[in-house]
Amino acid sequence: MAINVEKLNTLLQNFVSATSDVEGAALVTPDGLPLATSLPGGMDDERVSAMSAAMLSLGERIGSELARGSIDRIYVEGTHGYGVLTSCAEDAVFLVLANRSAKLGVLMLEIKRAIAELKLVLM
Amino acid sequence: MEIMRLVVTGPVGAGKSTFIRSVSEIDVVDTDRRATDEASLLKPKTTVAFDFGRLQFSPDMALHLYGTPGQARFDFMWDILIRRAHAYMLLVAAHRPREFHYARRILSFMQRRSRAPLIIGLTHTDQPGTWDEENILIALGFPNPDRHPPIVSVDATEAGSVAVAIMTLLQHYSQVQQRNVEQPAPHR
Ligand SMILES: Nc1nc2c(ncn2[C@@H]2O[C@H](COP(=O)(O)OP(=O)(O)OP(=O)(O)O)[C@@H](O)[C@H]2O)c(=O)[nH]1
Ligand SMILES: [Mg+2]
Repeated sequence: MAINVEKLNTLLQNFVSATSDVEGAALVTPDGLPLATSLPGGMDDERVSAMSAAMLSLGERIGSELARGSIDRIYVEGTHGYGVLTSCAEDAVFLVLANRSAKLGVLMLEIKRAIAELKLVLM
Repeated sequence: MEIMRLVVTGPVGAGKSTFIRSVSEIDVVDTDRRATDEASLLKPKTTVAFDFGRLQFSPDMALHLYGTPGQARFDFMWDILIRRAHAYMLLVAAHRPREFHYARRILSFMQRRSRAPLIIGLTHTDQPGTWDEENILIALGFPNPDRHPPIVSVDATEAGSVAVAIMTLLQHYSQVQQRNVEQPAPHR
């Protein structure tokens, strides 16, 4: 199966530049390799991808251990903003980095939209 | 109740997850995901965060067993896990000499962060092309036959064999503890 990486990259870049308060995004494999990334300068693709996979796998495990069912998303809120991880189809994980002024509700909607588009390319 | 945290590390496919699954008394926390990298040449799944298992070693001692991922892109997990380890084991597949150099890199990563006692476990010694201990030790950076960590052969798929390896690690741990009591390490 050949994934159209160029298309994925374009989608990510558009998403990052068109969505207010979003600073970066990455689409990675569940075993932590980058598929497509548009990350702030200075962030290492490989490292971010591996961390995303690790975090989602642990989150899913915690979700089942604590009887929360299947996990829709995991998010990290820090003094500098948000990191939101969403699983995107079976074979990808979507990471979005947003700054502190992001409105969470809007952000979640935008992520949902982006995932719908990404899924079409991944299929 | 005393808790000992033991870490199992080593290259992809050495048998870290299998090792822990073989002896854990609880359902192992497993973060294996479908492998899309070189790991997929060896097996369908690979660990992306850690394995966690538990073994009641004696009425007053529980072992917490942590398995690391094998790939260096997960070295942030190596770092998190090794810093809290009481002792650890480097698992190396004895029939994959091309990975010895990488195993040595993992080892130096760990030794820069932890002074916990370690032993070396050789897996896959039932396979053709297995190197002998002496040469593996040299490849791992221990050329002096009198100065190297304890080394054992272990079949990660066999609970009995894994138990022996864990015993060896615990014995080594208590010997090192004993030595430190007798001649305390200078403060650094
Ligand atoms: N023949 C043989 N097979 C072994 C032995 N030890 C482990 N294996 C097999 O080797 C494979 C090891 O797979 P894992 O336990 O997933 O390896 P891992 O070290 O956790 O790998 P990563 O998580 O990808 O880094 C399994 O298929 C085991 O059944 C052994 O001593 N002999
Ligand atoms: Mg594993």
